[in-house]
Amino acid sequence: MTVENNEPIYNELNSKFKLFSPSRVMAIAMNTFTQLVRMKVFYFLLIFSVLIIGANVLFLNFTFEQELKILQDVSFGAMTLFASIFSIVGTALLIPKDIEDRTLYSILTKPVPRFEYLIGKLLGILFLVAVSLVLMSILFFAVLFFRQHGILAEEINQMRGQPTAEQISSLKENIFAQGLRLELINGVVAVFLKAAVAAAIALVVSTFASSTLFTIIVSLVIYFIGHAQSMALDYYFPEGDMHGAFQRFIAGIVAIIFPNLQIFNVVDGIVSGQSVPMSLMFRLTGLTGFYLFIYSFVSWVLFAKKEL
Amino acid sequence: MIILVKSKLFSYGRVLVSLAILVVFGFLKIPFESQTEQKLKDKGFRDWVPNMSAREQLTQASFIGAIGGFRSLVASIYDLRAHEAFRDKDWGSVERFRKVTTSLQPRFAKHWDLAAWDMAWNAYAYYRSKSEFSDDDLELWRIEKMIMPSYLEKGLSFAKEGAKWTPESYRLPMVIGDIYAQKYNNPKLASEWYFKSSQAKDAPSYIYRAYATQLAKCVGMEEEAYKVVSNLYNGGKVRTLTLRRDMERLEAYFVNKLVQSNSINELKEMVKKENSNYIIYDAIATHYLGEENNISLAVNAYRELVKNPKAPDFYRRKFALLIARDPANEERAYGLLKNMYLSTPQIFRRVDLIELKKIESNLNIPLNEKLIKSDASR
Amino acid sequence: MSKDLPTAVQIKNLTKTFPVPFKKEKVVAVDNLSLSVMPGEVYGLIGPNGSGKSTTMKVLLGLISATSGSSTVFGMSSTETASRGSVGFLPENPYFYKYLTGAETIAFYGKLCGLKRKVIKERTSELLNLVELEGARDRRLAGYSKGMLQRIGLAQALVGRPKLVVLDEPTAGVDPAGSRKIRDLIMQLKDQGITVILSSHLLEQVQEVCDRVGIIFEGKLVREGSLKTLIEIEDQTEIVLENAGSDLLKKITDLINQENGVNLIRSGRPRTTLETLFLKETGGESKDVRNES
Repeated sequence: MTVENNEPIYNELNSKFKLFSPSRVMAIAMNTFTQLVRMKVFYFLLIFSVLIIGANVLFLNFTFEQELKILQDVSFGAMTLFASIFSIVGTALLIPKDIEDRTLYSILTKPVPRFEYLIGKLLGILFLVAVSLVLMSILFFAVLFFRQHGILAEEINQMRGQPTAEQISSLKENIFAQGLRLELINGVVAVFLKAAVAAAIALVVSTFASSTLFTIIVSLVIYFIGHAQSMALDYYFPEGDMHGAFQRFIAGIVAIIFPNLQIFNVVDGIVSGQSVPMSLMFRLTGLTGFYLFIYSFVSWVLFAKKEL
Repeated sequence: MIILVKSKLFSYGRVLVSLAILVVFGFLKIPFESQTEQKLKDKGFRDWVPNMSAREQLTQASFIGAIGGFRSLVASIYDLRAHEAFRDKDWGSVERFRKVTTSLQPRFAKHWDLAAWDMAWNAYAYYRSKSEFSDDDLELWRIEKMIMPSYLEKGLSFAKEGAKWTPESYRLPMVIGDIYAQKYNNPKLASEWYFKSSQAKDAPSYIYRAYATQLAKCVGMEEEAYKVVSNLYNGGKVRTLTLRRDMERLEAYFVNKLVQSNSINELKEMVKKENSNYIIYDAIATHYLGEENNISLAVNAYRELVKNPKAPDFYRRKFALLIARDPANEERAYGLLKNMYLSTPQIFRRVDLIELKKIESNLNIPLNEKLIKSDASR
Repeated sequence: MSKDLPTAVQIKNLTKTFPVPFKKEKVVAVDNLSLSVMPGEVYGLIGPNGSGKSTTMKVLLGLISATSGSSTVFGMSSTETASRGSVGFLPENPYFYKYLTGAETIAFYGKLCGLKRKVIKERTSELLNLVELEGARDRRLAGYSKGMLQRIGLAQALVGRPKLVVLDEPTAGVDPAGSRKIRDLIMQLKDQGITVILSSHLLEQVQEVCDRVGIIFEGKLVREGSLKTLIEIEDQTEIVLENAGSDLLKKITDLINQENGVNLIRSGRPRTTLETLFLKETGGESKDVRNES
């Protein structure tokens, strides 16, 4: 036997191996999803149900505008909270855990490029967040639907005498305009997009910090800076106010390096009845895609040669 | 930092490369981000500015929450706090919390509505009832001349500020109209705001009627009011009691004007030319009743009037009541009035009911058959 | 090592150093180590804890990169992900996703190896059968014993039909029966012509299954060779008898005593001579000695 005997194997390996395989990425993503599901994360839906039903029952003495608004605020608030927590904690929990438990060894010693592992994990988390948001939305929309019909019936009941068809339709229009409407879906999408960026941030952090707690804390700090940065600029450096070059420089660096998560906050406006044009939704989606790409890339740069 | 170093021994070169990537792409994203921010601002998604004064208004947690994407939720929480302060009659806090909700979410019309309501109605009413129990003259003066007007003004200024923020909505102009109509007794300004409100896409139809009502109260604007009121009366789907009264009152005004400025001959000339103008008949009847007290001529004039299908139904009531003045015809007239009352009671005003009651007693109608059982008021 | 020799694994002049935080000097984990493993061979890597066994394996599997030197698997550099296509690895104390069942675990790793859905199904049953875990097929790994985990780990390593299997301490913490099962499996792999590299400190086991052994100490390969040559003491002969009565033993002793220049050094049960050798090569420190000092 000579060294040439290896050639068939060598060639076979090269031809069999794909530089990027969606099926491998999907295998990792689905595994991540399964793992989280079996960690019983979906129990949170119970908490969510309690919250929105509570919001529904507790505020019956208010005007219907307040009632519908509180229901939407609580729902969107809980959705934002859960989606962000899942994104950050999920990512921080799973990747450092894989490293700590050395589960990563058995994955990376299969013909799996490291970026596929990272992308797979990220997609798994995003999939989980998406599924949770869809489930929460269904609950939220169902409660809202029943509530607005309930409110309509109550309001008609409280009218003196026999209300005319015109009165009823005007009332209905008024109530439903603040109830279930397509615009709410844009709000859910915006919540998802922000959570996706948060997950990508946690991905970057988890590639250089192997401790879960460290990842969570650093990611949360970045998450907060991401929200406050644009405001901090206005806050500390109001327009027209000349400040020290150094402060401006620092503020600039922060704006450059950190994502502006404030951009995704359109839910407040949506609840108060404004609508987000589709072009803006596309912009937000594009921006999210951009962040996912850059952060995946950076985490790969950090992770590619990491000594495990 | 220690965890970082201890955790993994990786090349620092890669960290620098990563930072470089972030910086380069950071430069690329900034124009896109600020463009998007601008678009959001234009669409009204960035009304709240977290500046020093906003920071002072909110608690630490609320401020962070408002920044972190829970602005609407924080606004709702302050709405609840305002509600609690309202229950405690702590009007200073109510005002403060209402300022927070409106500044956090200025495009939500209901925030302004509630703020105006709490000031111009709730706080105002609280001090008015307080003034009723006050023995101290100075205190009374202070409440009536300073505090109460100040809450009206606060309510009005909330409503006016809100109207600026929500130009699409009927709500705040309506609230302003309410304040002018119910608190300042200023039908002119009230009608202007109601009109503004009625022009909004989402305005319920009753606002236009409120506009007509206020307009009908404006002295010197009867022509304009009559146009609006008669249009509503003839074309509108709903003929409310107020609308009926306004219509009758305005027509009576024009009738009086006709009677005062024209002689009977001139009126007769007019009626020949404008046969369809039933008001002139009423003017003629009024003339006969007034100066000559000639009931039969007045009856004749009304007989012509009610032939006109355009004439509002209250003329039939007037006609019947006129007939009833002649004792010989009282019973026949009562029959007419009874039918009228049973089919369209709305055309009877309070004064008409008193008269009806009188007729019933003249005719000795047994109690169980009487239309008007006791008091004339309804 | 000659370039012309057939190689499943070739490690040349491998050096791996780790920086120490806040200090200038570096820890040398592997020092200019060279070794090669031929196809079909079972190679044992032995050495005390921290001698560089695991580091060498990690370099071989691309988990860490070499400071200098090279490592190839079937002629392909370990730094290439494609080289993992021919390798199966069982880590020390393997820990898999405990939320997955045995079958799901195999299927997951099968997918990572690029196997088709249908193939995965067959392969899963086949491997669970091989490692005798069909009974625990649909049980979650959270409920597996250490020996079962080790076996599911082995199944996982074999899912892609590797030509080289790397086993890091395959019997660590496994009870004797489980340990024997694993040994039998390694023998089966050998029969199938699969190259095996294993590290162990259970020298008896290494001795039982390995064709060749390398001893690593302080990052250096201090001895290497076929097991036979390594542990053979040329001027001594050992006779191992079964069911020998005392009469027979007395006869043999008498016979030996009659021969000139032949001495009976010892008689009794056979001992692990590898252990002796191991202790000698690694400084002769046994646990007991260390405890005394």
